[in-house]
Amino acid sequence: MATVSFQQASRIYPKAERPAVDALDLEIADGEFLVLVGPSGCGKSTSLRMLAGLEEVDTGSIVIGDRDVTDSPPKERDIAMVFQNYALYPHMTVEENMGFALKLAGISKDERATRVREAAKILDLEPYLARRPKALSGGQRQRVAMGRAIVRNPQVFLMDEPLSNLDAKLRVQTRTQIAALQRRLGTTTVYVTHDQVEAMTMGDRVAVLKDGVLQQCDTPGELYDRPANVFVAGFIGSPAMNLVTGDAVDGGVQVGNAVLPVPREQLTRAAASNGKVTVGFRPEAVRLAGPGEGLPVRVDVVEQLGSDAFLYTSLADAPDDVLHSADLVVRTEPRSAVTTGQQLWLSTDRGAVHVFDAQTQQRVD
Amino acid sequence: MTIASGTVREAAIAAPPPASAATSPARPRKRRQLTRNRWGYAYVAPFFLVFAAFSLYPFMYTAWVSLHETSLSNINGGTWVGLENYRNLLQSEFFWNATRNTFTIGILATVPQLCMALGLAHLLNYKLRGRTFFRTVMLMPYATSIAAATLVFSQLFGRDYGLINTMLEAVGLQAIDWEAGTVSSQVAIAVIVTWRWTGYNALIYLAAMQSIPGELYEAAEIDGASKWKQFLHVTIPSLRPTILFTIVVSTIGAVQLFGEPLLFAGNGTTSGGASGQYQTLGLLMYQQGWSNFHIGQAATTAWAMFMIILVIVGVNAVIGRLRNRADR
Repeated sequence: MATVSFQQASRIYPKAERPAVDALDLEIADGEFLVLVGPSGCGKSTSLRMLAGLEEVDTGSIVIGDRDVTDSPPKERDIAMVFQNYALYPHMTVEENMGFALKLAGISKDERATRVREAAKILDLEPYLARRPKALSGGQRQRVAMGRAIVRNPQVFLMDEPLSNLDAKLRVQTRTQIAALQRRLGTTTVYVTHDQVEAMTMGDRVAVLKDGVLQQCDTPGELYDRPANVFVAGFIGSPAMNLVTGDAVDGGVQVGNAVLPVPREQLTRAAASNGKVTVGFRPEAVRLAGPGEGLPVRVDVVEQLGSDAFLYTSLADAPDDVLHSADLVVRTEPRSAVTTGQQLWLSTDRGAVHVFDAQTQQRVD
Repeated sequence: MTIASGTVREAAIAAPPPASAATSPARPRKRRQLTRNRWGYAYVAPFFLVFAAFSLYPFMYTAWVSLHETSLSNINGGTWVGLENYRNLLQSEFFWNATRNTFTIGILATVPQLCMALGLAHLLNYKLRGRTFFRTVMLMPYATSIAAATLVFSQLFGRDYGLINTMLEAVGLQAIDWEAGTVSSQVAIAVIVTWRWTGYNALIYLAAMQSIPGELYEAAEIDGASKWKQFLHVTIPSLRPTILFTIVVSTIGAVQLFGEPLLFAGNGTTSGGASGQYQTLGLLMYQQGWSNFHIGQAATTAWAMFMIILVIVGVNAVIGRLRNRADR
């Protein structure tokens, strides 16, 4: 077990226009479960592979524990990795797959068998030890890949989208199992995913990346409540946060013919660069107001989920060019009588509004 | 009560027809499938017609000829001798000599050939500058005609002015009379075969290597496997079916070896050296049929070669199946 730290680590592919990972600074505490999340091509997998030693570090350094491993080959880093496609050796049995690293490390046959059996017990794999990967289901293969990492008892677990090949139901199940397993073993873990729900539910902290640049690294709660910029605000949460950009006017932000109220002090600072302000509010922070109050919208789609319902709406009186850029999502009671095409008026909870400088995209408090 | 039992009976009567209805369409469906596939048979027919005319018929005819005492000029008019030719063959020291030579040359050629091909393919699988060039060069020997290549090689292996002997003498070793010795001549022929086929096999291995997922190597690297261990534990097991295939193909080629030893002699004789030290089964067959005009005997040898190939391929298939069963 150990801490991990990225210090200004960059990866620049030959002939690439911009770095795949740009001066990444990240401190991961001992025993922490850190999730790297972002859209595809954001550099999350590259960061993980740099930590694994499968990808070069062009500038900066990576430290595991108190050892600088920037130039060490993977086997000297004392890490174990779970791959997206599991990368199980097809010609080896489950037992041989799990024990392969131990065998290479010259550990005796007896100890190998004991350790593999222990891990198999934790992962419910005991009946399958003599099978080959081909004869296993997707979920079982995933567990073997986990087992292969566990038996080595490494300092750090690296997981590269390990759930993306499972079906939706199994993914949710395995998600909790992995999180529980990690808490039980207490091994520092770096986990890569593109799924923000996975990130939020599993991570002690979540690092959001975009275009190779770290946007924000914080606990899931903080990330949700206080996104550092417009990208994080829009990326975290499902359905996404409503984001509207408009001119700062007296008392708030002009959206169509209505004004969204924003506290004066925040408004002044957010409008400082170019007079435009981006306002964000989550679907659950929207209230249906009486006729004539707040933002007038037209309901386009009603999504019934049982536990609640989402209304996809567009501004009723907005000029055409704003129409599609300002779709607003509202969460309501599941059995409300709202129907498609209906006109509604929306107001936002005070204090639940996020304000961003439209120019710099940064949060203003 | 009566009403209830009545309905039950009615239900029982009603039940069978659906069952018979379910089974009866099965047979017509099968027939219909065959008729529907009629065009499929029509499309594959040309191949089988050609195959029958140019492979199956000569094949069976050879078997027929092998049961006759006949000469090249009078193929159809020989006398029936039954299995006499086979008995003669099995008692002939020339046959056993040729069989022995075929096997030793086959092993001398196939084993190093496949090992080198594997190594070459592994090297060419790395990212290196001019990879396409090396891959093309590798296949060049295969594109060269046996005659041209063998003539060059018999020059290289020449006793008096051969390049190899010149080099041996240059480093103070004794010159070798390559053609005259049993081992030396067989080694020389094996070298020619190896030179010609290594690139071809390497290309097959390379294609198979490229279908091994890169993640496996990364996983092995993280597991602490050196490059050599990765080759041993990832590459070789993944190539197993391909290796089996190349062994079968090379073995068939080795049993039929003909051009190289014929041209290596330098004078176009089929005796395979002064004491038949490198006469293969292919040469023996040719000698029997076209030098001695015993076409019946030659057909017998041809069938013997075919039987040997069948046995070897069969053994390979059994080994492959046993391994597969062990895998499960």
